[in-house]
Amino acid sequence: MRKYLLKRVFYMILTLFLVASITFFLMKLMPGTPYSNQEKMTPQQIQIMNEQYGLNKPIWMQYLIYLGGMLHGDLGTSFQFSNQPVSYLISSRIGPSAQLGAQAMVFGLFFGIIVGSIAAINRNTWIDTTSTVLSIIGKSVPNFVLAVLLQYYIALKLGWFPIADWGSFSYTVLPTIALGVGPLAETARFIRTGMVDVMNSDYIELAKAKGLSRYGVVYHHALRNSLIPLVTLIGPYTVALMTGSLVIENIFSIPGIGEQFVKSILTNDYPTIMGVTMLFSAGLVVVILLTDIIYGIIDPRIRLSGNGD
Amino acid sequence: MEEKLKLSPDSFEALPQAQEPDNEKIAAPSLTFVQDAWRRLKMNKGALISFWIIILMMIVAFGSSFFINHSTLVKSAPQYANLPAKIPGVPINGFNGKLKVAGQWVDEYKQNNVPTGKYFILGTDNLGHSLAQRILYGTKISLIVALVATFFDLTIGVAYGIISGWRGGRVDTVMQRIIEIISSIPSLVIVVLMLIVLRPGMTSIIAAIAISSWTTMARMIRAETLQLKSQEYVLAARSLGESPFKIAWKHLVPNLSSVIIIQTMYTIPTAIFFEAFLSFIGIGISSPETSLGVLLNDGQKNFQFLPYQMWYPAIVLCILMIAFNLLGDGLRDAFDPKSRR
Amino acid sequence: MKLSKFAKLGAVVALSAVFLAACGSKSGSGQASKQVLNWNESAELPSMDLSKATDVVSFNALNNTNEGLYRLGKDSKIEPGIATKTSVSKDGKTYTFTLRKNAKWSNGDKVTAKDFVYGWQRTVDPKTASQYAYLYSGIANADDIMNGKKSVSDLGIKAEGNYKLVVTLDKKLPYFKLLMGFPSFFPQSEKAVKEYGSKYGTASKYMVYNGPFQLTKWTGSNLSWTLKKNNNYWDKKNVKLSAINYTVTKSNSTAYNLYQSGKLDEAILGSEQAKQLSNSKELVVRKAASTFYLQYNQTKKEFQNKNIRKAISLVINRQQFVKKVLGDGSTVAKGYVSADLAKNNGKDFADQAYVKDAVANNTAEAKKLWQQGLKELGVSSLNFEILSDDTDKGKDTTEFLQSQIEENLSGAKVSVANVPFKTRLSRSESGNFDVVVTGWGADFADPISFLDLFTSDNSQNDGKWKNSEYDKLIEASKTTDTGNTDKRWADLVQAQKILLNDQGISPIYQQATSTLVKSKVKDVIYNSAGVNYNFKDAYIAN
Repeated sequence: MRKYLLKRVFYMILTLFLVASITFFLMKLMPGTPYSNQEKMTPQQIQIMNEQYGLNKPIWMQYLIYLGGMLHGDLGTSFQFSNQPVSYLISSRIGPSAQLGAQAMVFGLFFGIIVGSIAAINRNTWIDTTSTVLSIIGKSVPNFVLAVLLQYYIALKLGWFPIADWGSFSYTVLPTIALGVGPLAETARFIRTGMVDVMNSDYIELAKAKGLSRYGVVYHHALRNSLIPLVTLIGPYTVALMTGSLVIENIFSIPGIGEQFVKSILTNDYPTIMGVTMLFSAGLVVVILLTDIIYGIIDPRIRLSGNGD
Repeated sequence: MEEKLKLSPDSFEALPQAQEPDNEKIAAPSLTFVQDAWRRLKMNKGALISFWIIILMMIVAFGSSFFINHSTLVKSAPQYANLPAKIPGVPINGFNGKLKVAGQWVDEYKQNNVPTGKYFILGTDNLGHSLAQRILYGTKISLIVALVATFFDLTIGVAYGIISGWRGGRVDTVMQRIIEIISSIPSLVIVVLMLIVLRPGMTSIIAAIAISSWTTMARMIRAETLQLKSQEYVLAARSLGESPFKIAWKHLVPNLSSVIIIQTMYTIPTAIFFEAFLSFIGIGISSPETSLGVLLNDGQKNFQFLPYQMWYPAIVLCILMIAFNLLGDGLRDAFDPKSRR
Repeated sequence: MKLSKFAKLGAVVALSAVFLAACGSKSGSGQASKQVLNWNESAELPSMDLSKATDVVSFNALNNTNEGLYRLGKDSKIEPGIATKTSVSKDGKTYTFTLRKNAKWSNGDKVTAKDFVYGWQRTVDPKTASQYAYLYSGIANADDIMNGKKSVSDLGIKAEGNYKLVVTLDKKLPYFKLLMGFPSFFPQSEKAVKEYGSKYGTASKYMVYNGPFQLTKWTGSNLSWTLKKNNNYWDKKNVKLSAINYTVTKSNSTAYNLYQSGKLDEAILGSEQAKQLSNSKELVVRKAASTFYLQYNQTKKEFQNKNIRKAISLVINRQQFVKKVLGDGSTVAKGYVSADLAKNNGKDFADQAYVKDAVANNTAEAKKLWQQGLKELGVSSLNFEILSDDTDKGKDTTEFLQSQIEENLSGAKVSVANVPFKTRLSRSESGNFDVVVTGWGADFADPISFLDLFTSDNSQNDGKWKNSEYDKLIEASKTTDTGNTDKRWADLVQAQKILLNDQGISPIYQQATSTLVKSKVKDVIYNSAGVNYNFKDAYIAN
């Protein structure tokens, strides 16, 4: 186990290092300067500023300096937000994104499990069909379309929730739904398939034969066993929520990190691009590692070995 | 055992020669794997309808290339901008050229002095392009994106998976680490990096898909290959000295086909979604070309005033996505040995 | 300056139009009891450092929370700020300002002449890396200091005691007083800069304010902040609003939804929304002193041909474009220099230097010239690319142009490239384009601010259009004719006429933004140039 963990962590660091390197060199291919007023400045001024920001050094040297800084937790200073360290920028904007992502994940998993189990229990009835159709629709509607509809009908027309902005819990409801419907639909379908499989198996027949109540069978056997593979979905969900949050943050005016990322690219804000890329990748790598570990713990059949996939 | 069998001597007589083979016959016709799957698929109404919907959409979308070409896309007519749907002879509000403006149904065609006889069955966009034409073209682009993703799944994904699983050992370890690294980079980051090097448009989208979309397929194929490798018939083929390429083609690919088909059906909707998302953040297909994602993005900006500009592409995208998802489900059930009960 | 989607600061000093949010009683009698304004911004507030701010959101916040020698009122009129008295030397090169004694920072410290000296020196110091230091060009020694040739203490600004300031210039600057109302020339408290160090201006608490309002609730990266009435402000009795709450929305439809629900008193509209709301009584069009035009790459043979350029220009139906495609209040450009920018003897420059053919739409003539041009080039068809921004406006523009050109000019094959602003700039600068849709905003209220761009040796002249007569006229306006207003004016009029007659560029539209403002909001001052908004006199009516 320990050897496995060490190995995984080593590969994790290697991955992040490669991501950092590729991003860094590609970023240097971007046209233009990071200055928001470049067209006004004389070539001498741009040269003086490049010297100040260390942009006149050879690229390999900038690369080493960047890597060195990153080891100390220094991600540089943003160009769009003058004097603002990228680490501060990220830490001040990661909160809403993370909260939204977590809420959407919980929302999606929780209701997905409920819908999925109801469908499986009432297999091949109208309830099953309805929930299947709904979850397919849920999976098929782009979340930005859903967000616009929710904002217009629920918030503006009905006035149940705030239209936009970020504050108390009520502000998070609509964005959470818009973001969480995708995972919800996916989870429901996943749980339904899993439970139908399990409920056809012999030990469920045995449990039924022993006279266990319907509820008991569903809860103790079917649901538990179909929950385990759900852990593997958390990785892909994280990716979906990361990209999805960008769109949702834009529509609901949420001070999150996703939207900042696109803007940093358009303004050549090199340190922010690097910082957010690294954050996204690190987040994903850690989530994948964690889900693998959890999976190994709850399902003893999976052996944690170095070359497992 | 009191009862005695009463056997008469004629029970021991041979049957007439002609009847003999009939007894050996198997009642049902023998089915190949594909035939069997097709039979199952046909039993699944939803999947079958979806299948035909997809075929129809493909025919219409690709067939439209004959009359929706570059110049039709380029040609704008701002004097006809933002007209709602009008189908002659349909007196339903919303399809008769009327638009709800501040609570009132207003005939926009009359307001904009559109000559009688000129109508757009799904209305027009902000430059006076026919929305119906745009949607057809957009569907085509979305389908192309889907096909491209499928192509990479089938080539890179399958080949990579088979090689990795077949060779095993060191090669497998290295190849799996590469996949791990690729899938650890969020796709958004990949696209953005692509954009730095390439221009926004089809090329960058395809490049991004080429880089990241095949990893799931490769993983699944590898896992299956690992299992198949130890099967007797593969072992037999190996002992007989078949070349690895031939083994892969003759033995592995047919046995992997169910995994391949099912996974493809899930890749397609993901790719269509991905393109729509890219267009939303403004780095997708560039004008005058359009895609369902671009249309949706344009439509959502004016949803308060011109809801039809979002609804129509949204409905088409949803139908497409639902069809692919249902077909995917149907195919999984059809190919999955577990559900053959 | 070239204009981007990130609402770059428009012209810095220019004559400007004022839009009172609504006409109505201007007396203070009809004031509502709750004086809180809810305002919409389309981007974050990136900096509150007077030396480092570069964008329109920052400058708006700085202008309302700080104050310089003057405050710019309606029509960019000079209104009293920290300076109570100004005397100018005969040669116009030395200004002496007397400062008011009751001006205070929000921490209670007095605002003195030393704060001005410190602020100016800090901005010009190359170590500060201020991107707006170029505005100081013309103040004694500023250029040398910016290029690292002289030390900051040589800058032409001296404090004589606490309340007297002497500024010396290299040359006469007709627009100098207007500059003094611009945030880059505001005083800075040395104590605050030193105390907060690298955090100065990165959050509302790391900054001191001497203006009508002070900033609160800004963490440095959030999407909402509040300007609260500053009780240390010398003229606080005339500040009516108690607070201005800002909300950043990235999507125009979100802004409009918030506006409809009453959460915002102002909303910035997208082009389609503006078209749909064109009859609304609350629609307010904010004009900018900037012109968008087609620039041709004249290092390429096909665009050296005047007939080709003329044909492209004549084929554009500009009226239809601004009304039907943009629809946001933008107007057809009269010429290169924007309308209502500068007047001489009561006549607008744009009217005097108007060349009808340069901005007309004549398809028949265009077709003729096009064929003639193709013949001269010896080709039967022409493929070229139009480069523009990747904004909605940029995309609509290229799509419209592509349609108009391909439909009407046979043999023309247009491809479009919509790229991010930075990429467009970089491609323009390196000459990697055929035709580019680009914009320019005036830096000050004089046609020269526009016309300077197209002299042969200007590094910003990306299209490389050259005309020796044009160069001579521009040179004359700066040297021999500089003392003679009418003569200089005539030179500049003649120069624009040469530029447009030769179709060196093809002006398309003068930019504007549509907003919705609740009618109860009164006396918000909007200047099309420099800092846009001044809320000092604004109030909420009953």
